[in-house]
Parts: sequence; C-alpha cells; structure tokens
Amino acid sequence: MSTEISIENVSMSFATPEGLKDVLDGVNYKVTPGHFVAIVGPSGVGKTTLLRILTGLTKPVSGTIKIQDQEISGPPEGLAVVLQDYTRSLMPWLTVEKNIALPLRRSKLTKDEQRRRISESLLEVGLEGTEKSYPWQLSGGMQQRVAIARALAVRPGLLIMDEPFASVDAQTRFDLEDLVLKVRSDFGITTLMVTHDIDEAVYLSDEIVVLYGKPARVREVVTVDIPFPRSQIETRNDHRFAELRTHVYALVRGVDESSL
Amino acid sequence: MKAYSKVLLILTGAWLPVALIILWWNVSADSSNPFFPPLSVIWQQFTTIWFSDQFVINAVPSLRNLLIGYAIAVVVGLVLGAYIGASRTLGSYVEPVADFIRSIPPVATVPIFIVIFGLGMQMRIAAISVSALFPILLATIQAVRSTDRVLLDTTKTMRLTPSQVLWRVRMPAGLPMIFSGLQLGLQVAFIVTIASEYLGAGFGMGAFTLIAADSFMILDAWTGVILMGLLGYGINLIFDVVQRIMLSWYVGQKKLA
Repeated sequence: MSTEISIENVSMSFATPEGLKDVLDGVNYKVTPGHFVAIVGPSGVGKTTLLRILTGLTKPVSGTIKIQDQEISGPPEGLAVVLQDYTRSLMPWLTVEKNIALPLRRSKLTKDEQRRRISESLLEVGLEGTEKSYPWQLSGGMQQRVAIARALAVRPGLLIMDEPFASVDAQTRFDLEDLVLKVRSDFGITTLMVTHDIDEAVYLSDEIVVLYGKPARVREVVTVDIPFPRSQIETRNDHRFAELRTHVYALVRGVDESSL
Repeated sequence: MKAYSKVLLILTGAWLPVALIILWWNVSADSSNPFFPPLSVIWQQFTTIWFSDQFVINAVPSLRNLLIGYAIAVVVGLVLGAYIGASRTLGSYVEPVADFIRSIPPVATVPIFIVIFGLGMQMRIAAISVSALFPILLATIQAVRSTDRVLLDTTKTMRLTPSQVLWRVRMPAGLPMIFSGLQLGLQVAFIVTIASEYLGAGFGMGAFTLIAADSFMILDAWTGVILMGLLGYGINLIFDVVQRIMLSWYVGQKKLA
C-alpha cells in the first residue's frame, strides 16, 4: 500500500531569546504515492523541522499535512519512522524480535501472525537469526537494519526517515542504501527521507525537494529521471547522475550552476 | 576461564573480611573483658541461640515485617512514581512535599506511627513501608521524567497508548535509576525494621538484642548484632542477584560501549 501525502502551505516559527524566528514559510509539496522523495537543503534550513511536522510530532504554526486527503493531528496510522540515532530509537532492554514486536501491539495481529511478520521483516533486511540478540550486541549498520525491519513490520503506507545512514561507515551506508532500494521495489511504500548527502538523494529518489532560504521555502523539485533498478557503480557513473548532483548541489549552495 | 576469573574475584573480595574475622578471633581469644567476650565464645552462643526455635521467635517476625513493609513500598512507590513522573502537573505538586518528607530521618518517624497504630506489628510495617517508600518514589519519578526524547518520539510515531508508553518504554528505560532507589529503600527498610523493635516489642531481632544488652547479657546481645549483620548481608546479596538479572541489558550495553 502506498499513501498519498501532501504538504499544504506549511509555515513554522520558534520562539527564541531574540524573538520569533521563522523557519518554514509556506512550504507546498505533494508526494506521488509510491514515490521515494529526498528532502535536501543547507544545514539548519529546517529539514528536520519539516520532517517532524510530517510525522505529526510537531504542529505547524499554519498550514496542514494531509494523508489520503485527511488532515493529520498527530502521528498518523500506517506511518513508520526511522531515525538517525538508532541507539536511542531501539529499546536496549528488548531483544531484536521484541523491538520489532513493540509497534505491532497496536495491531490486531495474533501472536503467530506477529511472529511471521517479525521473521519476514528480518529476512527482508538480511538479519535472519538475530531474533534473540539485543540491539547493542549488533554493529551500527545491523542496528539500523533492525530499525528498518521494525518499520517494515507494521506494513506502513508511509515511511519517513531522518538522516538514516548518517551514523554508519561508508561501506555500510552503501549497503543500507541498496537495502532501501530493495525495500522500495518489494513494497512500493511512499518514502520521505531527509538527508544532507546529495549523492545519496540522487541515488535513491524519484524526486528531490530542495529547501532553501531563511525562512525556508521549496526552491525547486528536481525529478530524478534515472531508471530503476539502480546500482552503486553504474548509476553513480551515469552522466545524468553527475548532471543531477551538480544541479542539486548548486541549488543547496544557492549558487549559479555555471559558476561551479 | 570465565569461571576462573569469577572465583578470583570472589577471593579478592573475601580476603579482607576473612582476615578481620581471624584477627578478631585471635585478639579476643584471651579477653576477660565482659563487654568484649572472645569471638569463639560468641560464636558458640550464636549457634546455641540461633540454630534453635529462637530463630523462629525472633528473626522470622523481623524478616516478615521487613518483607511485607518493603513489598508495600515497592509496589506503591513504582506505581505512584510512574504516574507522577509521567504527569508534569502532578509532579510539580507532589515532588516538593516528597522531598521534604524524605529529609526527615526515617527512624524519627517511628513515634508518630506508634501514636497512630499502637505498638503492634501494623505500626512496624507501616513505619518500614513509609520510610522505604520515599527513596523509591523519588527515584521512579526522576527515572520516568528523564526518558530520552528520541525514544519518546519513536514511541509516539508507533501510536502506542499512554499506558503502553509508560509501562513498556519509560519504566524499563528508567530501570537503572529506579534500582538505585530500590536499593536505598531496602537499606532504610532494614534499619527501620530493627529500630521499630527498640520500642515496645517483646520479640524480633532488634528487641532481642536490646533486651539482652539491657539485662547485661552481653554475649546474647553480640549474637543478635552478628545475626543482623549476616541477614542484612544476605538480603543485599539477594537484591544484587535480582538487580543483575533485571539490568543485564544495561550492564551488557555499558560493557560494550
């Protein structure tokens, strides 16, 4: 199942000692169901703020988030979230299988169905056999796989990821990127990901939303017209990949492409 | 290898107490001071008194009071602490009062309980549970309040119910902190168990020891002190085992970090 999500005229400000600071100013964007969308922009532009609003954790000052044309008022059903800091989002007192079972408590699945979901999810992320381990006994990359498995186990229509691969080494990062591509082709979940890595954004996405300015607006929506399946070697050597990353880079830096 | 190093660890921890006992045994061997009888004599008296029905008459009631009083404190402290910690408004009302009450030395409250409950077992259990309650309550409030923000956000996006968040996430996450309150509470409970028997009790380890000392049966008083020491040590050992099991995830995580 893929969910349609739209960001309608979302503005956000925070109270600071220097007064009210506007972070987002009338952000509009509609995600095509089943698409993978990366949100990029310079540091501090408000990517994570927008992501928190999308998850329903933060209420915008004005504007709305609609899922399947329904305005959300908190974390919506069918949402799964993967955060950068897996050590703080997995429960260290629960084994891998119990971590994955935790969000299933809200479902009406029987114990047997839950167990099947858990092993299917672990199989999908390549972690079969780790059911009884504790997350902290696994490597960083494996822990993030557990977080992804936990997200997949609820069969979400919408997956939101905040810098999911920022805390792992480069090799693991490539592996996890390819895992996300596989998940995409297996399930077609609508996915939104915040990243500061432009190459990663181009490699994974159907569309890239570039936020820019203080307060931030959508500067451009870049369509990544590189066909799937993609691969680390071929896609990244594709000249269209190079063109797109240069284009997005210029947008994020706020400079003219010809000056690069 | 692991078992070997464990044995080594126990030996390292045990040599000093063993040395002290040997020292005491030898130094006191020829003692004619009636207040400091030889340890060998104390030990002989210890076996005569405590390896008999005296244990059932005096030690069992104390242990029963301790157990019941502590159990009440644990249950009330964890449940109240969880809900108070989860609610900002409730916490701001309760915490200053709880902090104040905790500052009163637990033993000093025993007379109040005598006024309310008389001199029976209810008074002792009430005194034990109320004094043990506050360290547990305050630790639990703190523990629940300090749940990691990322962890809380994660549970919110899972749409867990508030009570699932409280009992399945915030309480287990706070368990290391809660256990320090539980340990402090246990120590206080043991002190108050004995102290509550110093007033108006005909039996119990504390009463036995006090009565013996008052009647110049110094030898018997010594055996009471030793029994309390041994039982206190044993209770702490049991607590440590429970803690080690409940917090094995925390210990394991710390070891790898």
